[in-house]
Amino acid sequence: MKKVEVLAPAGNLPSLRAAVDNGADAVYFGFRDATNARNFEGLNFSESEAAQGIAHARGHGVKANVVLNTFPQVGNPEPWYHAVDVAANLKADAIILANAAMLKYCHERHPQLPIHLSVQASASNAEAIRFYKRHFNIARVILPRVLTAPEIRRLHDKLEDVELEVFAFGGLCVMAEGRCHLSSFVTGVSPNIEGVCSPARAVRFENLNGKLRTRLGGALIAEYQEGEDAAYPTICKGRFEANDRVYHVMEEPGSLNILEILPQVIESGVASLKIEGRQRTKSYVATVTKTLRQAVDSYYEDPSAYRVKPAWVRTLNATSEGTTHTLGTYEESWQ
Amino acid sequence: MIQIAIGPVLFDWGRSALKAFYRRMAHETPADILYLGEVICSKRQGLSLEDVAELAREIKPTGKELVLSTLGLVMSDAEQEDLHRLKDLAIALDLKIEANDMAGIGAAEGHRLVAGPHVNVYNPQTLDFLQEVGVERMVFPVELPESSIRGIVSAPRAHPVAFELFAHGKLPLTFSARCYTARAFKLSKANCQYKCGDFPDGMVTRTQEGEGLLTMNGIQTMSEKVHTLIADVPRLAPLGIDIVRISPQSQHMNDIIAIWRQTLDGELAPEEALTRLQRCNNDEPFCNGYFHGQPGMAFHRA
Repeated sequence: MKKVEVLAPAGNLPSLRAAVDNGADAVYFGFRDATNARNFEGLNFSESEAAQGIAHARGHGVKANVVLNTFPQVGNPEPWYHAVDVAANLKADAIILANAAMLKYCHERHPQLPIHLSVQASASNAEAIRFYKRHFNIARVILPRVLTAPEIRRLHDKLEDVELEVFAFGGLCVMAEGRCHLSSFVTGVSPNIEGVCSPARAVRFENLNGKLRTRLGGALIAEYQEGEDAAYPTICKGRFEANDRVYHVMEEPGSLNILEILPQVIESGVASLKIEGRQRTKSYVATVTKTLRQAVDSYYEDPSAYRVKPAWVRTLNATSEGTTHTLGTYEESWQ
Repeated sequence: MIQIAIGPVLFDWGRSALKAFYRRMAHETPADILYLGEVICSKRQGLSLEDVAELAREIKPTGKELVLSTLGLVMSDAEQEDLHRLKDLAIALDLKIEANDMAGIGAAEGHRLVAGPHVNVYNPQTLDFLQEVGVERMVFPVELPESSIRGIVSAPRAHPVAFELFAHGKLPLTFSARCYTARAFKLSKANCQYKCGDFPDGMVTRTQEGEGLLTMNGIQTMSEKVHTLIADVPRLAPLGIDIVRISPQSQHMNDIIAIWRQTLDGELAPEEALTRLQRCNNDEPFCNGYFHGQPGMAFHRA
């Protein structure tokens, strides 16, 4: 069996270099505009930076995937077509696409460029993945965070000609990616259209008698007691009232971390383990890449002897929102 | 003339209530199109395929169109098998299928399709492609503003397509693998005890300041407020909208549809219609922000 790939995020060139230095097999990055779903200020790559990034990665035997995972805007689709052409001209190892029109364009215009179906396309079943394979010859699908580990295994058994990529670590989308309007409902800014979820300009922190309140688009997301860590306010991690209780109605703030079930995930046949966080710092990328590299190598040295090392957990906990970790949907009981 | 569609019932009303609802909508309202099928959760015990076939036979003489809606988030093998059974039934009964996941498009490719609001069509190029695989009608994603809708409707295209707009009801905002109704009772989805059945209009979720924000409906999250575009009716025909969708709620559906029909026909002024609809909404505020390029929860006054 082919060894699983460690795939690291890069929000800029220093992060890309950090990923390469710390043992990533592949990196992914997007261009500095609305064509990708981490369209934050000061983040992402110009065309010349992309060229440098790809050259640097390739020089170290690391693959470089270009992300183009938002939906072209009505009346202004040119930046998206242009970005596909640039990725093809730069000979990226793969392009990550979410939109059927972009998939069609890339498949017809650049058939040599491998296509990875973005998580934003929300293809969570064999029928949908086969549809994308049939029409656009996708090489890989990035699975939305809705499937359990056994479901991923069954999917792999059914789809021999499409690689599977799954999220291994990082911020956890609780919803089916690409199909969530919670941000636009409250802030007017949509991940699907603008490439941004819960923009900082819609966030307010208020101090009220020692209690900290967080707001998004005016809506109260959570209230914290003195000394409690406050999470960045998103609707899906908010503390609301339902069924006569106040609780995290959808999900507690925290990070996905699959180390505990790494053998099960690798043995389900996935090709790539993805680290979330193009918006995170260079040191986050370095730390998480290095730790996942160690864990994966430790598994392959002796799969039956694989154990999560306490040092890995300590290191990873230091990087994540709050300090809680979850296996998320990979465990059925989460659902 | 703009037609009225009644969207698929998104709540867990159970078999007999669903049958009664569709009979009432078919015989007592001026709706033109009825969407029918489980969009939210395959665990719900709604209508069987036999029930659907029976309703289709009953509804046919009324002249209303019946469309079969597919599940919104398809995961299991059983759910994929259900898609094929639904497609076979649609072919046997000569009905369109509303796909709410690419799996629905894939399973029914080449058949007469409606791209539902959960299929991401954000630009005319995507619609061009979907037309190639059988899509004859699309329902806009709920978050699209009027300007984007105009861009899609007015783009030149080789074959005509019908445009449907989600115009009234709680907004379907997102799906998750997790069931939030079960979670509210500290249950897992696998052992949900069918709690959705206790919430005919979903479970209201408020901020800690008491502001109604969301509605939990199993694995779906919806708006707490009802979205309505009644005040925008004069803009819809010039925009090129063919069909308005009214999403079912447990009360007042006959009145809501009658008010919409009269407003679309110019017999009722939009302001007066809004006042009357307000009464069908327990005088709770509406939202309509998405259409006006604002946050979906906002209400834009004309």
